[in-house]
Amino acid sequence: MDILTLSDVSKAFGSKKIIDNLSFSVGEHNIFGFIGQNGAGKTTTMKMILGLLKIDSGEITVNGESVKFGNAKTNREIGYLPDVPEFYGFMTPKEYLTFCGKIAGIEKKYCDKRIEELIKLVGLNGVNKRISGFSRGMKQRLGIAQALLGNPKLLICDEPTSALDPLGRKEILDILSDVKKHTAILLSTHILSDVERICDKIAFLYNGKLALSGTIDEVKVFIMEMG
Amino acid sequence: MKQISAFIQKELLECMRTGKCIFMLILFVIFGIMNPAFAKLTPWLIDIMSDSFSNMGLSVEKVTVDALTSWMQFCKNYPFTIIILLLMFCNTLSAEYQTGTLINVITKGMNRWKIVLSKSIVIFAFWTAGYLLIFGITYGYNAYFWDNNIVSCLAFFAVCYYLAGIWLISLMIFMSTVFNSNSSVILSVGGIFLGIYLIGMLPKIDKYLPWYLLDSSKLLINDGSISDYRFAVVITILSVIINIVAAVFCFSRKSTL
Repeated sequence: MDILTLSDVSKAFGSKKIIDNLSFSVGEHNIFGFIGQNGAGKTTTMKMILGLLKIDSGEITVNGESVKFGNAKTNREIGYLPDVPEFYGFMTPKEYLTFCGKIAGIEKKYCDKRIEELIKLVGLNGVNKRISGFSRGMKQRLGIAQALLGNPKLLICDEPTSALDPLGRKEILDILSDVKKHTAILLSTHILSDVERICDKIAFLYNGKLALSGTIDEVKVFIMEMG
Repeated sequence: MKQISAFIQKELLECMRTGKCIFMLILFVIFGIMNPAFAKLTPWLIDIMSDSFSNMGLSVEKVTVDALTSWMQFCKNYPFTIIILLLMFCNTLSAEYQTGTLINVITKGMNRWKIVLSKSIVIFAFWTAGYLLIFGITYGYNAYFWDNNIVSCLAFFAVCYYLAGIWLISLMIFMSTVFNSNSSVILSVGGIFLGIYLIGMLPKIDKYLPWYLLDSSKLLINDGSISDYRFAVVITILSVIINIVAAVFCFSRKSTL
């Protein structure tokens, strides 16, 4: 079953069309690589999926439910890791995750247990300092933990490795590979080696349109045939 | 309700840990003490300066101060109090737009109106607590040194000044949902206040404006009656409700979070 479906979605800012009749779907337990150069419309697409931007035409469904701008109930099924995750710097990681749990309406006992699991998963156990003192990599880890807190059916990651060093990148990709067992992932990136390493399916976005899509092997064969 | 409670707790924790709470507490206490202190020190200051006034050919009569002097000082200090509070909280939403911290909160399923409501509750609570502190300290010292009974309609005057503050805060919250930067928020609030002040100069219109509430200090010296302010009170309350509803409307349609 498809967790995420975009059908003929278009979006323009003023007279400039950013997304033009975009359609694709993401199935369960898949990592879907969403590839495109800077400004191709990847972040715009993700924000539309999250109901943060209004679509001009088309439809987006998450787990069969249509996404509505401004008050997207479908966000209950989604975990989101922004490209530059920002948190309340005056909180500690546990305080922030507890706050997220309350906002998401997660039962306290389960939330406490889940926070312990996630803190271990992302390697932040024992870190009790305030988030304002975190490095970019630590923020990225905390970002993954908050995104997975509610056991989402879909995890959206917007260029999670773009600003990390090779070791940080490997660690984040390992975490995402591990998460795949329970959650479908939409991974936006322009780092092709990351895509090759963890993605099952990929789609290239060019000028707001889907230029190429398929499994990694299908795309490789297509590129070889094209010479 | 759980979401609102969690967001209010977050706002309060932020105020505690960023030092806003302690700063506001000190400020309100200082303003509260300043009103009677200024009244108490006025005769002494004039006495010290009387010699230099005599040399300039000015004669100074003996000045008598009472609770009214202190309450008049309360009115003079009031604009500073509310301006500082507005400056402290004008970034309540813009700081979150700039850092992108609200995106996580909204994508966790928090309704946008709850964010506006939570932030409004916290700022209104700060104003209420601070105003009560300033008023209480001034009232207490006045009762100790003089007699508060010499001023009339003190309770109604207190409500009018409190409401004017609530109105300005609601306006700031509305502007925070319209503009993305602190300076735009504070300039727009100042601009609207100035516009209303200028409109208030037109005859027969002033008593319908929120600004007119600050004229209620006249009641302390028995100039006018409470019923003169009934339109301003009703219009201010309606205006506060409209500002908050408009803030929710604008914030729900905002794409640049």
